[in-house]
Amino acid sequence: MRLFGIETEYGITRDDIPEMDPVVESMELVRAYLEASFERRWDYAGEDPHEDARGFRVSGLQQDREEDEFAKVDAHRPFSFHDMKSDLVLPNGARFYNDHTHPEYSTPECRTIRDLLAQDRAGERIVLRAAQRRNQTLGGGHIRLYKNNTDFHGHSYGCHDNYLVSRAVPFPALVAGLVPFLVSRQIIAGAGKVGTEAQESGHVPGRYQLSQRADFMEAELGVDTMHNRPIFNTRDEPHADRRKYRRLHLIIGDANMCEYATALKVGTTRLVLNLIERGVAPDVELDQPVTAVKQLSRDPDLKAVVRLKNGRRLSALELQECYCEAARRELAGSDEESEWLLNEWSDTLRLLSQDRSQLVGKLDWVTKQWLLETFMREERIGWDDPWLASLDLEYHNVNPEQGLYLGLEADGKVWRMTTDEAIDEALRNGPSDTRGGLRGLCVQRFPDQIKSIQWERIQFAGGLRTHDFDMGDLFNPQEVRRCMDVFQYAHSPADALATWNHRKDMET
Amino acid sequence: MTHSMMPERREGPVDPMPKSPHPLEEGGGPRRPETGSPDKDSLMKRMRKVDPKQAERYRQRTGE
Repeated sequence: MRLFGIETEYGITRDDIPEMDPVVESMELVRAYLEASFERRWDYAGEDPHEDARGFRVSGLQQDREEDEFAKVDAHRPFSFHDMKSDLVLPNGARFYNDHTHPEYSTPECRTIRDLLAQDRAGERIVLRAAQRRNQTLGGGHIRLYKNNTDFHGHSYGCHDNYLVSRAVPFPALVAGLVPFLVSRQIIAGAGKVGTEAQESGHVPGRYQLSQRADFMEAELGVDTMHNRPIFNTRDEPHADRRKYRRLHLIIGDANMCEYATALKVGTTRLVLNLIERGVAPDVELDQPVTAVKQLSRDPDLKAVVRLKNGRRLSALELQECYCEAARRELAGSDEESEWLLNEWSDTLRLLSQDRSQLVGKLDWVTKQWLLETFMREERIGWDDPWLASLDLEYHNVNPEQGLYLGLEADGKVWRMTTDEAIDEALRNGPSDTRGGLRGLCVQRFPDQIKSIQWERIQFAGGLRTHDFDMGDLFNPQEVRRCMDVFQYAHSPADALATWNHRKDMET
Repeated sequence: MTHSMMPERREGPVDPMPKSPHPLEEGGGPRRPETGSPDKDSLMKRMRKVDPKQAERYRQRTGE
């Protein structure tokens, strides 16, 4: 079983001033979540977005020039880079910070879909709680947050799904196996969007499409993430032992409100990675994947076909069926979660072709379309009415008093796979079988002794020297649980590390 | 077979309303969702309260 996690950049607005400063507002929002004052602890040493999985390091990203321009402006602000980022690691092992002027919540690493859903929903509640506290300071409900991916003016922000992958898998096999799957995955995981747009260009109302991100896909492969966005991101930032692992960093996905869509998005991708590792992924290659991703998104009737390199033409449904059948052949009976995913995946594909109404409350694009078409009938308006883009936006509002999806959820019209109790637990603790939970435990037990922290390493201060806790190869769930036991009961991080290192030495 | 992952459905979407067939539905192609009404007393009211110009005013910087 592999690890996975989701990073979500939220849209943020403030309505009591003529022009909002997104740097300040995102920073203040993150800090509003803190009970104490902010302390700089995130260690950026493990982050280098210039490393490319194709085996080289790029000298610059397309976004660098724009970032440099922003940096010049930011240099005049009365706070440092670290202040602006306001990086927090939470007691559940999640990261919450200001990323490119968007509050971002990154779940802790998860091993099961059930944990991932609870952690993703916990993220919604964490950003909401931060907004409520910020609004208390501002004296009104001025801050709104959106779990979506576009501002309808050509600016997109991401929801990235990440997977731990063995470095032994040849990189070209990952690309070949994943690209057709990712291009067609939007029929399950698309969040739906009113109108079309392109990077830095205006919004054209009138057409409903499956995905929020498809309009912003401009390359098949690439290391960039803010411009010329690729279907397959080649950033090589493993956050783990580089000799053994890759982190597959997928930027094509939409932010989902439906838990069921999140489950299938990540779950089916996990299954396809298993197929690739076994060398049995379907042998399909798209002729023009970038064109195809847009073409399929702009066809909510699911009739469009895209051309393969061998001349065949397949619809998005047929592409997904191809992968689903391969997974069923190879992975049936692997474990309970895979079995559930296989059943739900094939059932969803069948319903998409036969009776889509049964997917309302399960898939976002279907749910949003149903909601908007009902409204259009009631109000006698058409798809080109600008009101619909506003309703699209409000579908993603994370305030339960305002958000349309959360209104449907409150009315009991969507599928729940989490419980409120599970989300409350996810707010307090990370998964008990991953280093994410262990990271959270360290934050809970030894907050004052953490000198620096990041995904794979924690540095503890203590006495005359620092103590490094390396988690770059700590992925065995039994080993994680044993380590958590040590940190749970140790008097200090130094004691915990001494005990843990001694045990490992004895085992070897 | 019982799966602990199986989601619990609290309630079906809505009572379906009669709808006219969409031209694209003819010939056995994909069908549109049953577009019944959401709860008119709450959600439709919530939708009507949304400012039609909300999206026009909404501006973000490019993220990742």
